[in-house]
Amino acid sequence: MRGIDMRVLIILSMTLFLLVGGANAAGAQTVVVGSKNFNEGYILAEIIARLLEDRDFRVERKFGLGGTLICFEALKNGNIDVYPEYSGTLGEAILKLPRRVSYADLRGILKQRFDMDLLGSFGFNNTYAIALSGSLAQQRGLKKISDLARFPGLRFGFSHEFLNRHDGWPGLARTYDLAVRPVGIEHGLAYQAIRESKLDVTDAYITDGDIEKFDLFLLEDDKQYFPQYLAAPLVRAELDGRIKQILGELAGTITDDHMRGLNAMVVLERKSFAEVAHRFLNEAGLLTSGRQRIEESKWATLLYRTITHLKLTFIALIAGMVVAIPFGILVYRSRAFSRPVMYFAGLLQTIPSIALLAFMIPLFGIGAKPAIMALFLYSLLPILRNTAAALFSIDPVLKKVSVGIGLTAQQRLRYVELPLAAPTILAGIKTAAVINIGTATLAAFIGAGGLGEPIVTGLALNDTSLILEGAIPAAVLAIMTEWAFEGLEKLMVPAHLLQKPAE
Amino acid sequence: MSQITLENISKFYGDQQALLDIELTFTDDVTTAVVGPSGSGKSTLLQMINGLVRPNHGTVAVFGKPIDYQRLPELRLRIGYAVQGTGLFPHLTVEANITLLARLARWDPERIKARTKELMNLVSLPLSYVQRYPYELSGGEQQRVGLCRAMMLNPQIFLLDEPFGALDPMTRNEIQREFLHLQRSEARTIILVTHDLREALKLAQRLVILDRGRLVQHGTCAEILENPANGFVRSFFQSQLET
Repeated sequence: MRGIDMRVLIILSMTLFLLVGGANAAGAQTVVVGSKNFNEGYILAEIIARLLEDRDFRVERKFGLGGTLICFEALKNGNIDVYPEYSGTLGEAILKLPRRVSYADLRGILKQRFDMDLLGSFGFNNTYAIALSGSLAQQRGLKKISDLARFPGLRFGFSHEFLNRHDGWPGLARTYDLAVRPVGIEHGLAYQAIRESKLDVTDAYITDGDIEKFDLFLLEDDKQYFPQYLAAPLVRAELDGRIKQILGELAGTITDDHMRGLNAMVVLERKSFAEVAHRFLNEAGLLTSGRQRIEESKWATLLYRTITHLKLTFIALIAGMVVAIPFGILVYRSRAFSRPVMYFAGLLQTIPSIALLAFMIPLFGIGAKPAIMALFLYSLLPILRNTAAALFSIDPVLKKVSVGIGLTAQQRLRYVELPLAAPTILAGIKTAAVINIGTATLAAFIGAGGLGEPIVTGLALNDTSLILEGAIPAAVLAIMTEWAFEGLEKLMVPAHLLQKPAE
Repeated sequence: MSQITLENISKFYGDQQALLDIELTFTDDVTTAVVGPSGSGKSTLLQMINGLVRPNHGTVAVFGKPIDYQRLPELRLRIGYAVQGTGLFPHLTVEANITLLARLARWDPERIKARTKELMNLVSLPLSYVQRYPYELSGGEQQRVGLCRAMMLNPQIFLLDEPFGALDPMTRNEIQREFLHLQRSEARTIILVTHDLREALKLAQRLVILDRGRLVQHGTCAEILENPANGFVRSFFQSQLET
């Protein structure tokens, strides 16, 4: 008999699972290195990773995690072993300390409260700075932030974050007695505006790679208003002592200028993180083995990312089918059940993807697990809704006949209702698959890898070609999935039951 | 003992009265036509017999026992059922439609094949149609497949709800002939709902006449034609037979 055959689906999914499941082989001691999704974070993490590789550790990179809280949670849960963090961020954003504490005190608090070790700082202080054009500074003789009070005519423009942070503009204005009204401006546009003399003063980071390019002058924070943002490897305390010792060698190796130069190499010269990190370690004399890390070819990387991407998408999709199809049937069978289920599934769909991913972290940590969970939740609604709608819309005459000729409820479902609903259910699964492929690109923010990795990095670096490296394969994957489902449809559904475009 | 008995049956849909105080025993092994104007409760009466409709009051007894509403599928397998518009399953071939119940009953494949062939011959369906889908057949052919499906398990009771209603007069004539043929070949109790009195007189030996949910008269065709119970029956006959 022709009709939907669940066995085909199950075998198909098992094969896929086996195909992609065995990717993680066991091996020597592996250190998981994380990073946030901005330039400097990537560089420092790559330096940490390469140093450990040089000393014969295996390293797994979970770079480009979507923000401070995600990294910190991941470290707390043991999903990663180390990531570069800033002392100021720890004090202000994570511990929310009421007053500033010394580096040593910060270490003590982290050790005591979170069982983490903040290792020796790299040396540079990437705090906020107030920037203006070099020529203007020279012309007016501006050197310190307190000098600004003498020129009330200057135009101030700050990033929105800086305007609102309590260690940003409000405190700055109070400390230095500045009585101007700054405008909010996108950070990426502020330097350009200064170069075109549309703006005089803005906020910057000390180690920003663009500072030289735009010929900016950084004023001295003479009242020491800005907290220190000393970068250092933050590790789990239980980590192997040898690893901590090796990372300790990085302490004090990078000055402000040095870091600015490394950032500029990536942002301006478009060098890869790997190249910049290698050059730094080499010049600092930290490489002992003289071994070069074997770079994977672009195609191998693409293949690996694609497989990871498919794994995330399809495990979630299959789980979604296993849950949503039975629930769709339940919704069809029991009216009382239908409203709460449909509302709940609808509600899930309204949660923004990034937020849903973030909600998953406390429950499942970072990596593939929370990503699959989030994608699973997203795939529920299209499958559920299509299943229920398809069953509800079956010709009432057919329903009556199938009851009247003596089929039991189970037999009706299996031989009449599900086969008739199959094209619509399949369309729901297809929708969920395509949504999943798109949404899975965001999973890179929580360290799940996949085709989102180059997209996240590309966004951090404002590098379009890198973004396309992920976006194009993802789009191709989506189209291929459409095709695959069309093929599946032809296999499982008699041609005359398929909807054809109007002629 | 009679196979089908309705005792003191009433059925309401909300305030709407569909059937009221029906007291009726169907004669075994003959064809009874249930006739009456639309809305008279013909279909509701028919669907009482296979439990698709459950009465608010009264008892329906089939095969000599009151219907056990917990075990309807078992009962329905012993009652053939065909409806207007065929109700063929569009995703199944002609053969799969006809043989579905026999396959679920785990009949021997040879027996299924033989019975299918027998039935298709009986209603003059070409055997080459087995692999076709319903949409590839004409209305009359689909109707014949519907009859075959209903007859597959050789049920002792056969319920037909306006089965030939949607056909053109030519096809209708033809299929009515097949029906008579079928009736003679295997003795069974057939209940036929129709709004067409001519069809009823042609196919049935007995008539049940309904008006607004009440049983007006029942008996053999000849009895009723000669001796209409009241003005309603007389005018119903006149209006239907004159045109």
